[in-house]
Amino acid sequence: MMINFDAIAVGDAIPVYTAAPITRTQLVRYAGASGDFNPLHHDETFTRMIGMDNVIAHGMFIMGIAGEAITSWIDNRYLRKFSVHFLGMTQPVNLDDFENTKGRATITVRGKVIEKYEENGEKRIRCNIIAQDAHGSRKLTGFFVVALP
Amino acid sequence: MADKSKLGMEFPLYSIKVAENKIAEFAAAVAQKEDTDHIKEIYRDVEAAKNAGYENIPIPPTFPTSFAFWTGGGLLATTNAVGADLNKLLHSKEEYEYYAPICAGDVITRKMKVVDMYDRGKPGRKGWPVQVTILETELINQRGELVFKARTTFMER
Repeated sequence: MMINFDAIAVGDAIPVYTAAPITRTQLVRYAGASGDFNPLHHDETFTRMIGMDNVIAHGMFIMGIAGEAITSWIDNRYLRKFSVHFLGMTQPVNLDDFENTKGRATITVRGKVIEKYEENGEKRIRCNIIAQDAHGSRKLTGFFVVALP
Repeated sequence: MADKSKLGMEFPLYSIKVAENKIAEFAAAVAQKEDTDHIKEIYRDVEAAKNAGYENIPIPPTFPTSFAFWTGGGLLATTNAVGADLNKLLHSKEEYEYYAPICAGDVITRKMKVVDMYDRGKPGRKGWPVQVTILETELINQRGELVFKARTTFMER
């Protein structure tokens, strides 16, 4: 999508992006795609040894979802910076208890334009970004910078 | 516990060719699609990518994470190299800078080093110290251009 620098104002919200409830199958798919086979993300016989009942999503999977949120709004070739701080862990949905567990596994990404400026001869905007589950628990916060025509 | 003598250590260089099917697989994973037919066109169709202004199929924004995992022995080799215990490791920050597009067919060389290691927290407090390790990764393409830089922060408890 082509968004013009002049049409953007500080305070504008980026489109809200709500991801599908994260399943264990998606964690396995992400593990294969990224190469991160830490058993913390797919093997509950391992997580129980470290005192956790459930596997948790890769932080980088949540950052990947946030990246998807950004590039659903602005083409990724305009992206210049993308930084996040990881906060809470995300447990996937339990398929045998879907209704009670989907909230913890459903990530919504929100953001806002916080600065318009010029850098390296480009017109750039800086936006903050936050990913939360349906209960409001924060998974990551950070910012991204895009160059706009 | 991370071995502080590893501060400044440079990992061996690794080169990897960016494969179209790995891009599609990654794009499907982060978009939570069951297959690669339903990902954005630019991630599966060269013509669509060219029409969108890329030389070839581009990578999704967080795809560079896979260069660290699919080279150099992966996660365990990396944590072992700095003496960290994977079971106690938390990924706390990831910071990316993009200088030029990375596309399918590019041959990317990964340069990674340990740029900082320090203790955090109050002495004597429960869980002290938290050991922080920061890795910096530079990705250089086949033309010798620095295309991407990452800072990755881990905490070990």
